Order: sequence, then structure tokens, then C-alpha cells
Amino acid sequence: KWKGEGTTKNLESIVIGRCYDYIRIVNPAVGEKNCSEIWEAFKNAFINKDPCSILPKDYELFINLSLHTIPPNKSLFWENNHLLVNAFAGRGRRYMSLADTLFGFFADFLNWCGQANSAGLDYESCPTTEECENNAVESFWRMASITYAQHSSGVIHVLLNGSSVGGAYPDPGFFADYEIPNLQKDKISKIVIWVVDDIEGPDIDSCGNYTVKELENRLKILGYDVTCTNNYK
Amino acid sequence: MPFHQGFARMRQRTGLLVGIAVLLAALVLAVVLASVLTQGKEDVSPKMLKWKDRGTTKNLQEVILGRCYNYVMARYPELGDKDCLKIWESLKHAFIYKNPCNTTTEDYQPLMELASHPIPCNKSLFWSKTNELVHRYTKSNQNFLTLEDTLLGYMADRVSWCGDPSAPGINYESCPKRSECESNPGSVFWKMASKMFAEAACGVVQVMLNGSVEAGAFRNSSIFGSIEIFNLNPDKVSAVHIWLMHDIGGPESESCSGHSIKRLKSILEERNFKITCEDNYRPVQLLQCVHNPDHTDCRLCTNTT
Repeated sequence: KWKGEGTTKNLESIVIGRCYDYIRIVNPAVGEKNCSEIWEAFKNAFINKDPCSILPKDYELFINLSLHTIPPNKSLFWENNHLLVNAFAGRGRRYMSLADTLFGFFADFLNWCGQANSAGLDYESCPTTEECENNAVESFWRMASITYAQHSSGVIHVLLNGSSVGGAYPDPGFFADYEIPNLQKDKISKIVIWVVDDIEGPDIDSCGNYTVKELENRLKILGYDVTCTNNYK
Repeated sequence: MPFHQGFARMRQRTGLLVGIAVLLAALVLAVVLASVLTQGKEDVSPKMLKWKDRGTTKNLQEVILGRCYNYVMARYPELGDKDCLKIWESLKHAFIYKNPCNTTTEDYQPLMELASHPIPCNKSLFWSKTNELVHRYTKSNQNFLTLEDTLLGYMADRVSWCGDPSAPGINYESCPKRSECESNPGSVFWKMASKMFAEAACGVVQVMLNGSVEAGAFRNSSIFGSIEIFNLNPDKVSAVHIWLMHDIGGPESESCSGHSIKRLKSILEERNFKITCEDNYRPVQLLQCVHNPDHTDCRLCTNTT
């Protein structure tokens, strides 16, 4: 029916397990959370609805229940280098990327969608963003990105891929559309951009050039103190 | 004279009634006091044993189940036939309601059988005193697997559990340390899982050791030194590659020519394994350099390349 993969099998057990894993082992500093309640709020955002009609604000209750402080100077934004970021962030020890927050950890690498007139999850297929923008997964990450940006403070780091075709700073993109507009200027002291090329990859983009220049200009116009480094060791 | 007699009988009866009422009141008071006092004691579960290490991880069932499904569905879908519920049940039955100092390998046998899976050749990565570094490496290079990257290890990593003979059978307050008793649920689990992990290895195997530790990179008392090297199968394993890592800017307590490495080599050679050893295996060192970019060891171009 849809072009995308279906819901991840055993989604409920996986996410509830991840929720407890996070509060008991990964980051017990966030305190007590009701993981069953969090799952219910998550599910109710998209269950029993047309899978192309899910909006970011449908996840509002989920976010309210799973939100926790993001320590200042630890936010790490990124584009086109998911695995590198996970390795670099050190599971929240060095930096806390979105996937290192409870709400991001909850859903990282998973897939899900519901169906109209049915309380069940669709395990067969789910709409891709090309088929419809307002799908369960896309709206989730938009809401999560907005929230993550709103709660970031201090020195902000952005890790971009200088070997990406089309440039290191994709516009449209999550960072461009959902994160930059939601940064709280009065809580942020500086924005540090790192442009890193793939090993033996092409050097398509870099500081002061092409799309990175656009990003630097945009942030400076917004009034941020911006620095940029190529291939930060 | 009947008047006087009636009066006396009435006084007697009243006295009796008062006496009975007082006795009843005393009885009721005693019962109430007794229940209040014993209720307080029951809440504290005086019968559960007390130990020195942290107790069972709260929400153990949810964590284990979630990790099992996550591993099978999201990371290694080829293992699709694993029954995570059965796996959890077999773990639970290994320790629930049992004295945590009497754990045996038989307790874990069903779990080990249900959760084990084959490991591709040339990918086994053993380690000793390099916990953080080795797992950062396998996260970024899926070509190698430590025990904690197999289903069993993945489920149990950083989690603790132990039972107790009294209800509810699981001790969330404390669990025995190795110094209190060796046959505790955690130690027995990891020893058994390590043995099986070594037995399953084939082809070339790798081991990451810490050359900045004072006590020596290879110790006979470690799980690697006491269990894993003795359970490698010489018919399946051809060679052992040692990666001896030093902390960036840390002491070089030992290198490939050191005493404990010589001892390790002789043990392995006796069992007919080929051995190589490399100081500061570069791909792993690069990972260390991510957090020490300005150190001389982390310069991108060296005179020797």
C-alpha cells in the first residue's frame, strides 16, 4: 500500500525497554519517569488516524512527559553523519545529541505508523515523506528537533558533512527548518560549526564556501557569535 | 429482707459485667497493638538477605525484553527466530527465589542455549581493562564483535540481578559482591557467557589490552586470562592478534615486548595458536585521538608514513 517499510516489530516492548534502560542505566540523573504513560502518549499521537495527517504537535504530551534538562554546552546538532555523531557523542558523556536524550533515544532508528479506523499499528508498510509529509515518523522528528533546539543552551556545536552531495548544510533540512528557528538566542553564547569530510571522500563543502557560507551568514544575521573549523580533529 | 438480697445480687451482676467489659477492652487493645507492631516489621521484609553490592536493576524485565527485541529486530534481523519472552523467562528462573550464593552453571543452561547465536569468523574481539575504548571501537566498526555485542552480552551489559528465598524472590536492595561469595548470579553468568563466547570463536581473533595499567596488560586472574584463552578451540581458531593500547599521554607500563605479554604468548603458543602483537593499533588509536587531538601521537602525518 505505502512505499516505506512497516512498523518495527515489537515496537512497544522495544520503546518501553529503552525508556527504562535510559532512566535506570543510561542517564539515571533524569529521575523517575512513567514509561507506560510515555508509551501511551506516544501511541495516541498517531493511532487510529489517517497516517498522512499526523502533525508535530500531536506529540506534545509525549514530549512533556519525556522531557528533561539538556546540560549547557553539550548540545550537538548534525546533518548527514548520523553514525559519526553517535560515536563522537559517546552516549551522552561528551555531548548529548538528540539521540542521547530520552525522547530521542526512545525512537532512534525505529519506524512506525498507524491506520485510519483501526487501533492497530501498520506492520506492512508506512508512508514515506515523499508520499506525504505529515506522517508519524517525520512529524515525530520535527517535534523532537524543535524541542531539542528550544532546550539547548551555552555553546552549541554543529557537525556537518563536507563530502555531502549538494553541500554540508542542507536547506531544506531539519537543522535549517526546525532547529535554527527554535534556538533560544538569549540562552546561547556561541555556535561552533565543524565541517568534516568523509575519509577519502570528496571535499565538496567547507567553511566560508558554498552552503556553509550560507549557514554562517544566516546565523550571523540572527545575531549569533559563530566560528567554523574544517576537518576538526 | 428480700429487698436487701435483690440489691446485693444486682451489685454482683454489675460487677461481673464491668469485669467482663474491662477484659474485652484489654483483649481488643492487645490485638490492635499486636497487629500494628507486626505490620511495621512486615513492610521492611526482615527475611531478605543483605549484601554489599547494588541490587537488581529496577524494571529488569522491561529492560531485558526491550533489549532482546531491539537486538533481534533492529540490529540483527537474521536472528528473527529468537523468542524474547522465553529468553526473559529463562533468565528469571535462573535466579528467582534462589539463594544468590548458590548459583550454578545449570541454572543458566536454558538461557545460554536459547540466546546463543553463531559468530562470524575473524570477528571475535576479546578485551581486558579496555571496556570503554573497545566498545567505542565496535560501535564505530561493526566488523568486530565483543561479548557485549552478542545477544547475551547486549542484554546483560551494565545490568545486575539476584534472587532471594523470600517473597518476591528478587532482591532489589542489594546483591552479593564477589568478595562475599563467588557463586553469585552475576559472576557465574559472565564466566559462563565468556566461556561460550570463546568456544564460538573461529578464524583470526583479536584482543585489546591496556598497556597503561600498572598491574600489567595481561593478568591470569582476569576473565580473559583465566577463562577465554583456555576455551579458544585450536581446531577453529588460527591466530590471535593482540592490540596493546596505551592511554594517550598515559604511562607506557608495558608494550608488546613486556613480561605479561611474553607469558600470554607462551600460553597461546603451547596451544598451537599463531600470535601477533601490535602496539597502539592505529585504527583504535585514532578513536582515542578524537578526544586528544593536540597530542603528538595524534598528528595526522608522522615522519614514518
